Amino acid sequence: MFKNIADVLQGLGSQQYIASEEISTVVYLAQSLCKPILAEGPAGVGKTELAKAWAGAIGAPLVRLQCYEGLDESKALYEWEYAKQMLYTQLLRDTLRNVLGEVNSLAEAAKRLAQEEDVFFSENFLLPRPLMTALTSEVPVVLLIDEIDRADVEFEAFLLEVLSDFQVSVPELGTIKAKHQPMVLLTSNNTRELSEALKRRCLYLHVDYPTQQDEMNIVRLKVPNLRPELAQQAVAVVQQLRNMDLRKVPSISETLDWARALVTLNAQSIDEKTLNTTLTVLLKYETDVQKAKRMMGGSGDSGSRRDRGKRYDQ
Amino acid sequence: MDDRVVDFIRGLRAAGVRVSLAESVDALRAVEVLGVTQKGTFRESLRATLVKEHDDFAAFDQLFPLYFGSGGPVMQNAMDDLSGDEQEMLKAALAAMSGRLDQLMDWLTSGNGPSKEELEELANRAGAQWANNPGDARWVSRRMLQQMGMGHLEEQIRQLIQKLQEMGMSQEAIEKLTGVIQANREALAEQVAQQVGLQIAQDRANRPEDLHGSDLMHKPFGSLTEDETNILRKEVQRLVAQLRSRIALRRKRGKEGKFDAKATIRANQRYGGVPVEIKHRKNKLKPRLVLLCDTSRSMLQVAEFMLRLTYELQDQVAKTRSFGFYADMQEISIIMSGNRPGEAVQEALESFYKYGVGHYATDFGHSLDTFFKKWLDSVDGRTTVVILGDGRNNYNSPRIDLMKDLQRRAKRLVWLNPEHPRQWGTGDSDMLEYVPICDGVHTVRNLAQLSTAVDKLLDVR
Repeated sequence: MFKNIADVLQGLGSQQYIASEEISTVVYLAQSLCKPILAEGPAGVGKTELAKAWAGAIGAPLVRLQCYEGLDESKALYEWEYAKQMLYTQLLRDTLRNVLGEVNSLAEAAKRLAQEEDVFFSENFLLPRPLMTALTSEVPVVLLIDEIDRADVEFEAFLLEVLSDFQVSVPELGTIKAKHQPMVLLTSNNTRELSEALKRRCLYLHVDYPTQQDEMNIVRLKVPNLRPELAQQAVAVVQQLRNMDLRKVPSISETLDWARALVTLNAQSIDEKTLNTTLTVLLKYETDVQKAKRMMGGSGDSGSRRDRGKRYDQ
Repeated sequence: MDDRVVDFIRGLRAAGVRVSLAESVDALRAVEVLGVTQKGTFRESLRATLVKEHDDFAAFDQLFPLYFGSGGPVMQNAMDDLSGDEQEMLKAALAAMSGRLDQLMDWLTSGNGPSKEELEELANRAGAQWANNPGDARWVSRRMLQQMGMGHLEEQIRQLIQKLQEMGMSQEAIEKLTGVIQANREALAEQVAQQVGLQIAQDRANRPEDLHGSDLMHKPFGSLTEDETNILRKEVQRLVAQLRSRIALRRKRGKEGKFDAKATIRANQRYGGVPVEIKHRKNKLKPRLVLLCDTSRSMLQVAEFMLRLTYELQDQVAKTRSFGFYADMQEISIIMSGNRPGEAVQEALESFYKYGVGHYATDFGHSLDTFFKKWLDSVDGRTTVVILGDGRNNYNSPRIDLMKDLQRRAKRLVWLNPEHPRQWGTGDSDMLEYVPICDGVHTVRNLAQLSTAVDKLLDVR
């Protein structure tokens, strides 16, 4: 557990995650107010990474629930293991016969069987899914609910109950209450508006693309093999691309991929040839690649390219 | 401090940010945990608990310094840097000048600026209570500074310097003095600006909430102030969100379809054929929308609303394609899906007006023709086609034949018109010819009508 905000910053840093003051404040608040965090922002700015770093920093296991269209309670919470139940019934046939040994009527048999019914609906046959795992865990966990905007509205409504009380009811077993309240991080890429009720229950964190300096630090930390001058140039190019009118601008993860590609290709500088061959790592649409090539044009050192880029931007 | 936070929350609400009671409690708890000593942290803790939309960050950033600022920079005392003799000289000079700028000169030289009450009094005299928008802060503070006599200050300072020179004060001391006065003057201007901003924000928070009431629902789109527009935008958003949950409910109810024998047998293979799981056919209701939005000049005042409605609908209904038309039809689905609402609407408008406003004349007939040639595949038996426009066609061919065809192909054809029915058919309006073809025609002149129309949009017949 974090003691103060500086502790958060240091803890996340030790997990190779560079957190802004805003992020660390919100994480600390989430922990001390026991509230979930809702992190919104463009794809690939490290929202999911934050959960991993958070779990790593406090030494708690990470439980991840990936949302998608059609995700429902049984897939997120628990399922009865029918197959196992069937198997046990088969294997325990003899025992069952003993139990039912001297009964004379069907009614009596059913009554006796009913007494043993609980055996088949016990936790032995419960298949916990991520939410249940997080609630029943013996140690506090970090629960990551990824891309909540992809899930259906009904699931969002169901989640409200779990997130406000941290308990769920299983009809056969009764209410299961969390032993330790998990720390919850929900992420959203903003593909649709989330309901106000959900937002109300969460602390809101907006994660945006980093500044040039921050991105530089991230690249240096994650790809230490890249020469500093080259990293500087690469980050400058990415920052410039983000200002352009593209269908999909490069995210941090793509910057890192590119940086790794530059290391692998043993690039000496970012010249036209390197750019032409590796630009597809950054940009994922052909039209974007063409546009970027036109804008950057020519070769030469990064300085003049940046100047040219500026001129074209105007 | 708690009172101040509560005041601040009221200010946020007045600026159109939705803050619930539970969120205010969270904010106060967060402040309790983190304290107020560090301004950055304090600010983050308020923002994370109170503001849950990135679009509202701007309002937060504007209001925060007004409520929790220091009230502007501190003024310095000019006497501090002067020797005993020089202080006497300054006092004498000031006394000798006694004119109507006494008060101002006193504030600027002594470093004791006007008190909070004095500032409030001055702001009211300058008419702060009549200012409704944060944008009005500028003229109020300018008028306030004028009333303090800033206009004559230069003259006054010149006289003071002359007097001091006559009394024999050293050039160095005089320069130091004028420096301090200038710095104090800027500080005072800043204090005034902050005070005015705060007062306007507070006035706005204290005003009765008639804006949110039913009046706004019935106010025509064309005659809205900026504030009202903002509130309306949010209302449109909520409206469509409501619509979505209704669709979701319908879908859920529709889920229990017919018994599906094939799927049941397949699913129960693993239980040795004992039917443990019963499968039903899913009859999902997946609405499809095609929106045709008029962005022409006659629609300019409402076009933004229509586009915003388009945006929200596309956000909520997965299978939506949107088109805009002026002289010709253009697909705007990509613009609408890729951006934040404000930007998307702006970009869509710009894409139509890139050659200037007067360049085109509306031609719905021709636009329809283009639509038939290029995008007819978007309309099928499950599609609801919604046309947002005034039906003013600039005397071009209305292409009734294409409209009829469109109606036949689509599940429903709905027209939302911002004009009053009595104006239909006048001038270049072809509306009366379109009306009998459409499955539904709604006048949408205000939010109340819009909400009724949207509600009926996806009705299952």
